[in-house]
Amino acid sequence: MSGERVKQSRPVNKRALAERRIAEWTSGYAPLSGIPDEYIGADGAPRAHWARFLDSLALQDPDEINRRFGAADRHIHDMGISYRVYGETNERSWPLSHLPLLIADNEWKQIAAGVAQRATLLEHVLSDVYGEGRLIADGALPAAAVAGSQDFLPPMRNIKPPGGRWMHLYAADIGRGPDGRWWVLGDRAQAPSGAGYALESRLVLSRAFPSLYRDMNVERLAPFFRDYRDGLTHSAQRAEPRVCLLTPGPFSETYFEQAYLARYLGFLLVEGDDLVVRDGQVHVRTIAGLKRADVIWRRVDGDYCDPLEMNAASRLGVPGLIEAIRKGAVVMANMPGSGILESKALLGFLPALNRRVFGQELRTPNIATWWCGQKSEREFVLERLDEMAISSAYGENVPGFPGKRILLGSELGTEDRAKLVRSIQERGVDFVGQEVVRLSTTPAWVQGKIVPRPFVLRVFAAATEKGWEVMPGGFCRISDQMDARAVSMGDGVKSADVWVLSDKPVEMASLLPTGDSVKIRRLLGNLPSRAADNLFWLGRYLERVEATLRLVRCLSNRVTDADAGVSPARQSIDRLQRMLVAWGAAPQELVGSTPGELATVALTSAEHYGSASSLAGGSMRAASVIRERLSTDTWQLVSGLEARLTAKVDRVLSEPECFDRADRALRVLAALSGLIQENVNRVAGWRFLDIGRRIERGINTCRFARQFADNAATADNLDVVLDLIDSQITYRSRYLIGVALAPVRDMVMLDTFNPRSVGFQVERIDEHLATLPVLREDGMLETPRRLSVRILSDLSTEEAELLDTNKIFSIEQRLMGMADAIAERYFLQGPHAVRGDKLTDLA
Amino acid sequence: MIYDIRHVTTYRYEAPVAFARCTLRLSPRDGHGQKVFDSGVDVSPPPSESTIRSDFFGNRVETLSVEKSHRELRIVALSRVEVDRASPPLAALTPAWEQVKLAAAGSQSLAPESPAHYLFRSRLVPVLESITAYTRKSFPAGRPILEAADDLMRRIRTEFKYDPAATAVSTPVGEAFERRGGVCQDFAHIMVSGLRGIGIPAAYVSGYIRTIPPPGKPRLEGADASHAWVSVWCGDEFGWRDLDPTNALHVGNDHIVLAFGRDYADVSPIDGVILGSGGQKLSVSVDVAPVTK
Repeated sequence: MSGERVKQSRPVNKRALAERRIAEWTSGYAPLSGIPDEYIGADGAPRAHWARFLDSLALQDPDEINRRFGAADRHIHDMGISYRVYGETNERSWPLSHLPLLIADNEWKQIAAGVAQRATLLEHVLSDVYGEGRLIADGALPAAAVAGSQDFLPPMRNIKPPGGRWMHLYAADIGRGPDGRWWVLGDRAQAPSGAGYALESRLVLSRAFPSLYRDMNVERLAPFFRDYRDGLTHSAQRAEPRVCLLTPGPFSETYFEQAYLARYLGFLLVEGDDLVVRDGQVHVRTIAGLKRADVIWRRVDGDYCDPLEMNAASRLGVPGLIEAIRKGAVVMANMPGSGILESKALLGFLPALNRRVFGQELRTPNIATWWCGQKSEREFVLERLDEMAISSAYGENVPGFPGKRILLGSELGTEDRAKLVRSIQERGVDFVGQEVVRLSTTPAWVQGKIVPRPFVLRVFAAATEKGWEVMPGGFCRISDQMDARAVSMGDGVKSADVWVLSDKPVEMASLLPTGDSVKIRRLLGNLPSRAADNLFWLGRYLERVEATLRLVRCLSNRVTDADAGVSPARQSIDRLQRMLVAWGAAPQELVGSTPGELATVALTSAEHYGSASSLAGGSMRAASVIRERLSTDTWQLVSGLEARLTAKVDRVLSEPECFDRADRALRVLAALSGLIQENVNRVAGWRFLDIGRRIERGINTCRFARQFADNAATADNLDVVLDLIDSQITYRSRYLIGVALAPVRDMVMLDTFNPRSVGFQVERIDEHLATLPVLREDGMLETPRRLSVRILSDLSTEEAELLDTNKIFSIEQRLMGMADAIAERYFLQGPHAVRGDKLTDLA
Repeated sequence: MIYDIRHVTTYRYEAPVAFARCTLRLSPRDGHGQKVFDSGVDVSPPPSESTIRSDFFGNRVETLSVEKSHRELRIVALSRVEVDRASPPLAALTPAWEQVKLAAAGSQSLAPESPAHYLFRSRLVPVLESITAYTRKSFPAGRPILEAADDLMRRIRTEFKYDPAATAVSTPVGEAFERRGGVCQDFAHIMVSGLRGIGIPAAYVSGYIRTIPPPGKPRLEGADASHAWVSVWCGDEFGWRDLDPTNALHVGNDHIVLAFGRDYADVSPIDGVILGSGGQKLSVSVDVAPVTK
């Protein structure tokens, strides 16, 4: 009996087992000499919090641990957590380290105090540099060290920041230096990124290891985001301000994060085109007209914010925005021009500036930096070039050395060295020298082992009414090489969740506000026109994919029928093929070829805009720019559909294969339709998605009817159309006489009980339009509604026997006209709509 | 000398334009030996909104919106300006260029005319090794700044060909330099780039130059053009000195300054966006007429 065997086996000593596992994981764990490690302390023994963490982890079965790591990886993939390497079209999945970075409470308090102190200093520097300029006039900060930054924006001088501050969100990149202290490596003040990824990493890891997470007393991130949101809303003039997150768009490196944060914080994600300045105020273009924007959280670089006063070539900004800021009409987080703080040139001056302004030392020192614009500093750097890391004083790359972010003096060849020395002598203002710092290492999980890897930690601070609040945690990047003197997010770098470990149990917290201050609401503001536009097109694309798949499925199915050689069937096949060609799904030459050939192209071709795979790409594009409005499930289905349909095929598929492929894809679409019907709130966004689908379905169904229920339609043709609109069974049960033209036409065009008929689509569209906001104040119908009412009444009063191909064509035309009218009324059109051409002049 | 300046810009569009938003820098600036008596801009169709302000560099900027559908946008700028500039200092008396470079990097001001703003690459003017190398030849050790800059200006005048066909408004500086040809904008950008390359602050100036008709011929109306040249910082004592590399001239009483900035992008006379689909045709006519008393 199996029970007895258990009794016989040795009692499992869980402790001993755990210790064995830890020993196995950490065997060979060897930090570099002279460089601190987060796991092994200076005394050579494991630090207490890491020991506690590994103990808890080791209590779990190894298979279980691997399953959980696997689940975390899948979660990242499924959520679509991604970033884009600049210049690449496709997003990459976010590589998340399986182990968090652990920081003990007492140490964290020091880091937080250092970051808050630094934020206070930097806010002062910004307001001085763009205001009075006393630090400059007194010689504490050379003018050229500021003016050299491409983010020094002269139009911002003497502007008082609306809301009273230049920075609302600040981040410091820190690392532990060889002396064991934390050092600031750089400042992020333009539009710090990474906070959203920190939140996501937390979600993933805490879900994979819930009990570990709970037992370790990890400080929660949510209160920080609540503070940040409250700080922004309190800085606005109105009580319930509209906060917008201004994004450069889906091609930005961190678009995922922007969309994620907008959704998490309940902000409106907007692009430059969504905003317009009128009468000195900034407005969002919504389907209900212009609505005031009170606060803009900017992820567009300062110089690109306003083509009128800054970079005239910018297509990302809002014309007139700077003037609106000047008039105090809109709070900017952060103010354009804040990016000057990211210059390395400033680093060398900050310790002295803090002493001068606040009479204090910086709690967290920054990496020693010498700006070569000053004679003595320049000579110092050149004398000790071998011990120096040389960087650009303001930009990414060392001037004259394309693609090089850092040059190590000790590693330069003779020629490069001479070139560098000459450049520093000629234009010292462009260079800084920094001491070379090797960063401390933290455990990373590599193939069942724990190994030390260098890391950089980005710590965020938010301006609140109570002062700077620092996020307990952060965005940690771990290098995959032992010797990291510069870590950036590129190949081979992972991010890690950051656990700040409290001494006592941590209270659960989320974005839930405390007290009874919550005002109940069922609608969230007005839908921006651009979002409405993209939702509408997402609907249209999805429906067009569906129609294409139905045509392909029908084509593949008919060919496999036994009587394919008989002429009426062949005529239907020809018509199906011609339709796919007219649709743009396949080339003309393939008409008359084997149905499998044409169906393969119509399913998989990347060259034909009407193929199922191209259309799925279109729906993916539309979905990706409104990602913050789609649920994770929806996003997964849309991207899954795209992945399924764009999978490469290098041969002609057989008809049954085509049938199967189309059929499976149609089932994904059915799941998507179900999700959209059952899980999406009946808000304006859902209506535009549904209007898009219904307009497209109405138009496509008219086309089916013209092709297969025309005046000369054969029984086989009518059979095809019933197939295409999924109405075979209904028809057979309703009419026992077999297929006939008028009843089929009624079912396809007029029958509002049939969810696939044109009449049904128009009825739904009319209902949607009736609930959307109205701009007219005179009580008259707006154009889209006038059209829907008219088409609906014509279809309702039409008689199937009197229908003919011309009438069907006219309905199709009127549906297209209605689509145009909807675009004109609700989307970005009319004055200010399209970004205009630039005027040019001659010198 | 007093001038009446008439600068007419006309955009003709193939298709109606529903909306235009422009930034105009068409009113001359006061100071540096120049006094503006009167200046105004007339736009048709009339703008629905218009504001006038002074930009960071002290240039007069008018921002306006036209919300009426139009096929032609006509901008007429009229100014009356008195120019009375002192003659340039003796070049030999100006400080050695290395001293100027040092003073610029140590500047303690972010005021509009502070050399700190004109020391770095700007939107349209990169710092390029080719142009910097060309410039170094005029700047041997210890040479007085104005003498060296004057030499650079003359070299550009003689070694570069004035050729409107060689470049367009958007031609990058490096390309104009390689071609050794272009118009006033290119020459000014090249000289600005070279000076910054060796650490000397240089600004871009837009304006007009009076054309003197051949003896016995009447002055042709509207035959003049917008012009551009360079301002070089010669240290705290001598300040900004204007040099015109297109004509190898020190700027005197034949030049009228419109605007001052880091490069053309800061001073372009008309900038803006329109909402329209078709192409556009631009015509510009400039008339600089000395007022005879």
